[in-house]
Amino acid sequence: MSQIRNQLLQLNGSADALFILYYTAQGEPFPNNLDKLCAPNVTDFPPFHANGTEKARLVELYRVAAYLGTALGNVTRDQKLLNPQALSLHSKLNSTADTLRGLLSNVLCRLCGKYHVARVDVTYGPDTSGKDVFQKKKLGCQLLGKYKQVVGVAAQAF
Amino acid sequence: MSTLQIWVAQALVIFLTTESVGELLDPCGYINPESPVIERGSNFTAVCVLKEKCVDYYHANASYIVWKTNHLNVPKEQYTTINRTASSVTLTNVASLSIQLTCNIFAYGQIEQNVYGITVLSGFPPEKPKNLNCIVNEGKRMMCQWDPGRETYLETNFTLKSEWATEKFEDCKAKPDTPNSCLVSYAPVYFVNIEVWVEVENALGTATSDHLNFDPVEKVKPNPPHNLSVSNSEELSSILKLTWINPNIKTIMTLKYNIEYRTKDASTWSQIPPEDIASTRFSFTVQDLKPFTEYVFRIRCMRSNGKGFWSDWSEEASGITYEDRPSKAPSFWYKINPSHTHGYRTVQLIWKTLLPFEANGKILDYEVTLTRWKSHLQNYTTNDTKLTVNLTDDRYIATLTARNLVGKSDASALTIPACDFQATHPVMDLKAFPKDNMLWVEWTAPSKSVKKYILEWCVLSDSSPCIPDWQQEDGTVHRTYLRAPSKGPIVRTKKVGKNEAVLEWDQLPVDAQNGFIRNYTIFYRTVIGNETAVNVDSSHTEYTLSSLTSDTLYMVRMTAYTDEGGKDGPEFTFTTPKFAQGEIEAIVVPVCLAFLLTTLLGVLFCFNKRDLIKKHIWPNVPDPSKSHIAQWSPHTPPRHNFNSKDQMYSDGNFTDVSVVEIEANDKKPFPEDLKSLDLFKKEKISTEGHSSGIGGSSCMSSSRPSISSSDDNESTQNTSSTVQYSTVVHSGYRHQVPSVQVFSRSESTQPLLDSEERPEDLQLVDNVDNNDEILPRQQYFKQNCSQPETSPDISHFERSKQVSSSNEEDFVRLKQQQISDLISQSCGSGQIKMFQEVSTADAFAPGTEGQVERFEAVGMEAATDEGMPKSYLPQTVRQGGYVPQ
Repeated sequence: MSQIRNQLLQLNGSADALFILYYTAQGEPFPNNLDKLCAPNVTDFPPFHANGTEKARLVELYRVAAYLGTALGNVTRDQKLLNPQALSLHSKLNSTADTLRGLLSNVLCRLCGKYHVARVDVTYGPDTSGKDVFQKKKLGCQLLGKYKQVVGVAAQAF
Repeated sequence: MSTLQIWVAQALVIFLTTESVGELLDPCGYINPESPVIERGSNFTAVCVLKEKCVDYYHANASYIVWKTNHLNVPKEQYTTINRTASSVTLTNVASLSIQLTCNIFAYGQIEQNVYGITVLSGFPPEKPKNLNCIVNEGKRMMCQWDPGRETYLETNFTLKSEWATEKFEDCKAKPDTPNSCLVSYAPVYFVNIEVWVEVENALGTATSDHLNFDPVEKVKPNPPHNLSVSNSEELSSILKLTWINPNIKTIMTLKYNIEYRTKDASTWSQIPPEDIASTRFSFTVQDLKPFTEYVFRIRCMRSNGKGFWSDWSEEASGITYEDRPSKAPSFWYKINPSHTHGYRTVQLIWKTLLPFEANGKILDYEVTLTRWKSHLQNYTTNDTKLTVNLTDDRYIATLTARNLVGKSDASALTIPACDFQATHPVMDLKAFPKDNMLWVEWTAPSKSVKKYILEWCVLSDSSPCIPDWQQEDGTVHRTYLRAPSKGPIVRTKKVGKNEAVLEWDQLPVDAQNGFIRNYTIFYRTVIGNETAVNVDSSHTEYTLSSLTSDTLYMVRMTAYTDEGGKDGPEFTFTTPKFAQGEIEAIVVPVCLAFLLTTLLGVLFCFNKRDLIKKHIWPNVPDPSKSHIAQWSPHTPPRHNFNSKDQMYSDGNFTDVSVVEIEANDKKPFPEDLKSLDLFKKEKISTEGHSSGIGGSSCMSSSRPSISSSDDNESTQNTSSTVQYSTVVHSGYRHQVPSVQVFSRSESTQPLLDSEERPEDLQLVDNVDNNDEILPRQQYFKQNCSQPETSPDISHFERSKQVSSSNEEDFVRLKQQQISDLISQSCGSGQIKMFQEVSTADAFAPGTEGQVERFEAVGMEAATDEGMPKSYLPQTVRQGGYVPQ
């Protein structure tokens, strides 16, 4: 559990910087319209309840991590096309995705080892490949806003 | 299309070649195993199997097989004939890394023939890799290292495998040159256990290391803290505050630190207690430092729980503690001038500067206070270490304090006794003796308590006066030594030249001198050379080392000597430059200027002598062998009469006779011109040897160029600078024998055909270029004729083009032949006159016909008046005696 906790702390420690880096890299109107464009309104985002049992929290955390992992993969893919020069953002997105992957591994092991949960149903975010540029940027910003919010809650919960 | 054809052809060739080689290389048998790899030291058995067709063809069987290793026969005892076609050999205790094993057969029982060969490799199976460990350099990928075990002598692959509990990572294959480490391709993920192990395999087996399971965060080697800075505090002279920026890894782990420091001149480091810096921080205040002392710091960090690796040391940073008041009173003494006048005496108060660790800062000045009994204080402030005052005979008390930026030292008190004071408790049994290369002084303390002792001494020398030195000792000691300098002078270079170096140094501080500096000795040497010592007077602060070698590294140190000994200063190195200052410029600039000047002169010379150069390099010299006297004739028969090829020249736009004209300087010929003339003369002379003889250039003489020169004829020197060519026709046109031998000359002095000898035989032929509009101004052709009344005929030779065409040659020869008949009749010996400003432009104009019945000294009109082309005949031609056809 300490590793999960540390991972959540690590993610939480870098979430805000990632969010800022993201909307800064998108340029206007994002930095000045965060409330409208980057509000953490992500449909189908898995819920996380900090006051649940450890098992429930782990299951929900797994779903959140799985959702975020794939969604961040999409964002990373989009940003490499939309902002190829934003290498720092790319690096941070990759690093976050790696950490989420490690978190998934740890959570799964914990669920499997302690609660004998070998499989968790997960949901994934919408595919952004068909969206226009602005929508891609907006969805990415909303996702990172949501990520920052949920990781903060999860870090507190564990 | 062509590419396709080439491709098909190549493919066909390759196919056919492969087929044929396959046939050609079809062996008579084979060895099994084909490519064996065996463990070193083991036995190895191979079997050679012959093919039936070879057995039959060579009338041989397996008993005819001979085994060889590396071209040496294997003892028969190691063979075994298995059956009619198979033979085996066993190699025992194979130690060689590589063995060439061949199976050979005696064909027809006699001829040894190779059947097959294999290479046997030997080595060792891989050992289990040991000591597997990994490190994650912050910001980089994970690298694992292991002990690969003994050398296998075979191609051995090491693969680092890694996986999480839920997924595997890409294998990391070690490079052949670094089989003991591998850098994984993925970024490390912290707080997830990863399992790594090494698998190794070669042809003799595989091995696997122990699995290592760890969290990468426990293998982190952080980046060192950076931007380390040091600041002091005015409030506390014993502290320095360090600040730094932690590496980014601090966001996921707590750090602990090592901080080390030393004084600037020290070589060993002191360490801050680790427990004081066992958690993440970005500053630390170091205490208990000496005032006004420069300290150097460095810092490193690692994960606070000790799992992981220390970072590298940071960049060093230094700082100076703030000043503190001097910690000690200066040593204080006095000297009284023995002269005593009017109730006053001159007293010199002297003191020694404080050592740095006593001064605790920069001493700004000294304050001296003199107090006489029941009198006012007398205060003096000075920067010097001595003070001379006039005192009365009374007793005085002097105090001395040293002051720096922060405060004053304690006062040194000194009683200057009254004039009539008699010491009642003198020091007894004063002895001095050498010991351990030092001069020791020992005395018996008086019975009363003593505040301090002052030792005075001087060197007893016949050559130098006694210059007293002194030192102060506590009242508790009764033995001390006279101190040599405590440190040597620090030498440095003031100026370094190619062969000399000016050294300079500062005078040693008084308190480091420990006496009087008698002299300095400079030791210098090269890396490989012997050390040279130079003694320098103590009053100097610089010295010039001379006779140094350029581009050489020198090491120099200095020793300061007092009477008690010497002390080396630190060694200093310098390198003499390869070139002295300005030497390169001194070489390059003159060379460049000289080159420039030479080039300029060369260009000017070439420009001035362009004609001469042109003459030497590409002179317009016609081939004399292709020249004919007829070409000079002003009266040339129509060419079309002779050769149909001449038709092409019917317009007269060609030159029949080539003439080279050299316009010499009228005033004075250039030496080069003369030289060239000489050359021509030599040529002439040599040609004469081949001619038919002097005194009459025979018709067999070859054509020669003629050059007017002063050597040939003084008369022509002033008038002519034109070189003309004449031709002696020595054969008829097209194998026709001329009826009369014709000689031609250009001038009596010309080296032309030795014409001086028989000028009467000369005939003149003009060279005419019909279209040549540029006529020479001074062209002439004089010929001596027997009849003085005969007007000179002008033979004006214009510089013309070479006539190389055979048609033209034919034409010219014809003209020459025709003209020669006339000349032979009319021209005798006589004077050649010069004609100026004449033109022969039309001399050979097509359709020129008629006869010239009269030749006079006329110009252009002479010819044109007669309806003839402009041509000029030699003077020697009689009227009507020279009639061109």
